[in-house]
Amino acid sequence: MGMGMMFLGFALLNHLQAVLPKDSMWRHGFANLLLFFGGVLLMLGLILWISKAIKKHITWPRTGYVAFRRGGKYYWKAIAVASIGGAGSVCLIVLAMRHDAMSLVGAVYLAMLVGAYAIFIYRFSREHPWKWLVLLFMVLGLFAMTLIFPGKMVESWQPAMFFVGLTWLVSGVATLYLYLRHTQPPAPEAE
Amino acid sequence: MNEQLRAISELDRVIHEPGRLMIVALLAAVKECDFLYLLRETEMNKGNLSSHLARLEEAGYVEIEKTYRGKVPMTLLRLTRAGRRAFEEYRQGLKAAF
Repeated sequence: MGMGMMFLGFALLNHLQAVLPKDSMWRHGFANLLLFFGGVLLMLGLILWISKAIKKHITWPRTGYVAFRRGGKYYWKAIAVASIGGAGSVCLIVLAMRHDAMSLVGAVYLAMLVGAYAIFIYRFSREHPWKWLVLLFMVLGLFAMTLIFPGKMVESWQPAMFFVGLTWLVSGVATLYLYLRHTQPPAPEAE
Repeated sequence: MNEQLRAISELDRVIHEPGRLMIVALLAAVKECDFLYLLRETEMNKGNLSSHLARLEEAGYVEIEKTYRGKVPMTLLRLTRAGRRAFEEYRQGLKAAF
C-alpha cells in the first residue's frame, strides 16, 4: 500500500508540475525543487503515519507485535542498493538527455517498477499467489498504454505511473482485506 | 561412547524440548516480540506457552518485560545473550551429532 501511495504521489506531483502555468515560479529553480521535495516529504510522512496506525490499531492486536533483527549488514545493503540505483538513474537520465532519448528512460523506469513488484511478491508475499495475476495485469496494462500512446513514452509516463501506483495500492488494500477476514483478535483473558 | 552419541547426550535439555525449541528458534530470529505473536506462531495454548516461557526465564535464556501499549497490557519477550549463546551451542551440538 505504501509503494502504491508513493507512485500515485509521484504521478500527482508530475501532473501538478505539468498543469502549472509555464511562467509560474513553481516550475523553475528553487521553488520547483521545493515543491518536489516538499511533496515527497509529505508523501513519506503520510505513508509512515498510515503504516504505523495500521500496525497499532489492526495488526498488533490481532497477530501480535514483532520487531525483526536488522544488523549492520541490512543497513549497508540498503545504502548500497540505494546508491547504485541513484547513480544508475542519474547516468541513464544524462545519457538520454544527451541523445534525446527520454522515452528510453521512461521505459527502463517502468520495467524497474514492474520488476520491483515481482521481487516484492517473491520475497514477501508468497502466501498470496493471486498477486502474480496482478503482476500480469500490470504488464498487460502497460503494454496497452504503449499501444494507446505509440512511441510517446514521455506523454504516457504520467498515466503509466498512475496505473502502476493504483494497481499496487489496490493489491495492498486487497491483502489487508483478506488479512482482516482471516484473523480475529484473541478473546480477552489473563495471560 | 563415540563422539556423535556424546554430542547428543550433551544437548541442552532446556532448549531441546520441542515447545521450547520452537520458542527459542522464533525468538532467535527477532529482536523482540509480544506474547500474542508467539501464541499465534507456535499455536500453543496460553498455559503451555506461559509455562515454557517461565522455564526459559528461569534458565536465564529469555527476558520477559511486562509493559503497556497505550492502556493495553503487553508482555514483551526477547532472548538474552546467554539464550542466544545457548541456542547457537545447541545448533552446533545438533550438527555435530548428525
